[in-house]
Amino acid sequence: MTGGSIYAVIGICWSLVYLITKVLNFTTGEFVMLGGMLTWVFRTAGFSLVPSVLFAVACTILISMILERIAVRPVRYPNEVTYMMITIAGASVIKGLVLLAWGSETRRIESFFDTEIIHLFGATITSQVLCVFGLLVIVTIGLSLFLNRTLFGKALRASAVNLTGASLMGIDIGRFRLFCFGLAGGLGAITGIVITPITFTGYEVGMLTGLKGLVAAIVGGWTMTGTMVAALALGLIEGFGAGFISAGLKDVFALLIMILFLIVRTMNFASRTGRGSP
Amino acid sequence: MNGVPQSKLLWLVSIAFITAIPLVAGSYVVGVMCFIAIFGGLAVSMGLLLGQAGMFSLAHPVWFGLGGYVSGILALRGIAPPWLGSIIGAVFVGFVSYVIGAPLLRLKGYYLACATFGLLLIVQISLGQLGPLTGGHEGLMGIPPFSIGGFILETDVHYYYLSWALCLACLWFLYNLMGSRMGRAIKSFSDSEVAAKSMGINVPRFKLKVFILTAMMASLTGSVYTCYLRFAEPGIFGFPLQVQLMTMVIIGGGKTLYGPLLGGFVVMWVKELIHMYLGKVLPRMGAQVDALFFGVLIIVILIFMPGGLSGWMDRLLDLGRRTFGKTSG
Repeated sequence: MTGGSIYAVIGICWSLVYLITKVLNFTTGEFVMLGGMLTWVFRTAGFSLVPSVLFAVACTILISMILERIAVRPVRYPNEVTYMMITIAGASVIKGLVLLAWGSETRRIESFFDTEIIHLFGATITSQVLCVFGLLVIVTIGLSLFLNRTLFGKALRASAVNLTGASLMGIDIGRFRLFCFGLAGGLGAITGIVITPITFTGYEVGMLTGLKGLVAAIVGGWTMTGTMVAALALGLIEGFGAGFISAGLKDVFALLIMILFLIVRTMNFASRTGRGSP
Repeated sequence: MNGVPQSKLLWLVSIAFITAIPLVAGSYVVGVMCFIAIFGGLAVSMGLLLGQAGMFSLAHPVWFGLGGYVSGILALRGIAPPWLGSIIGAVFVGFVSYVIGAPLLRLKGYYLACATFGLLLIVQISLGQLGPLTGGHEGLMGIPPFSIGGFILETDVHYYYLSWALCLACLWFLYNLMGSRMGRAIKSFSDSEVAAKSMGINVPRFKLKVFILTAMMASLTGSVYTCYLRFAEPGIFGFPLQVQLMTMVIIGGGKTLYGPLLGGFVVMWVKELIHMYLGKVLPRMGAQVDALFFGVLIIVILIFMPGGLSGWMDRLLDLGRRTFGKTSG
């Protein structure tokens, strides 16, 4: 279930960027990695936990926005393939820089609370897992409030439905794109920070974690509820697969699900949804 | 095609040039050129897929790796000599790419890329997990060298000629292919699938054909590669290789057939220069760090030079022809 919640938040990051900008942002996973990694960096530099988390999130948001400005925005002939190559290139740049700066060892940060284990209704869970669930709840409630209640959020939804129409209504699309990249970067970083005490982090964790978020987003049809359901199911399937078949092949299941889903979707009976389908 | 001077003279000159290099250059240059031929050949087949057919498949390293693994395993177990193994590998890869490609190629754009990316990771993880067969994460050690009828290819120069022969054969084959009916069909559906369909072109079938063909080419290159290194491990067929290939295609320009080879030339020498000059400053040099530089290159080229080197050269040739040409149409 922990995995599932993580994938849900990451999936929401993917769809935020995809729906507004039509960019499939392959750096999403790297933001997750950056969040954990930067927190570790600030922690070892001697900051206490809260400032390092804040710094890490701020840095990731900044990096995400810089990426949008210098790499995604100036593309002269924008199309899906170009965007994808750009973000894949961006991901490998981030990964390479992290490797150069902080090496290939896996890093960890300590749990947020002193009490590691909590007894709840007879079951024992670690406090960190509770943090992960808490994150998912806060993110979903916060985002849906933001998207449905504020003017800015409503404008965002409008531009997801029809970009040209939204810009004709006086919505500044350029600022929105920047905002979406920033928001996705920030959410990704927070996810990375929360998960790091459980799974550790290293320069190469981003790609796979990010891809599983993408699986959830695709299977969920780019909507928030869909993504959450798909992500939780994905986490369960992965857990069972690791338990019953092979722990080493755990990651293969998620990817297989994605491929199978994509193939099934192309058959006639599956692709009758409205928004979000290509 | 596309204003490229594709004359017999040019072919002869380049073949003569390539043949002459080992006679004058040192073993270092020959070694690098050998890699250029292997990865350039791979990039040429990927360029056909990406640039000409407009299919963004990220699975190319899979075919490269599978080909290498099949011929490597067959040769290690003594079942088949490498030359036969590489042909068996190509047939095997052709079959696998048919089975996988038939359903997968219904997907377009982002979704095709996502699915093939998934495939890439699945194969890489599985190669690491299937220990008894593939040697696991340590990889296959001590693959016997290429040998044809008692003549064993051992030195860099031998592999130089082998890999360049394969690379140029692929290029030549693709030039002929693109001039044929099938080639014109491929180009037509990269521009507009609907228009191609309305002209009576069976788009899915041609897509599948191109997919299988490029996969088999990649497999052959992969076999030569593993025989040259005499070693194979899952890590070298992964995401960094894909980024490297993308860089080659983008730098060279995917709209022409020779572009990716040109890109391969540039990329491999840039890589060597980076290793030479930065190797002392930056201690942790690996495929991931190379990917960092390639990433920067990709972004810069895509923003400032979308046509790549060959697109740029074509424009220059075009300009020259218009300025100095006798007749102007």
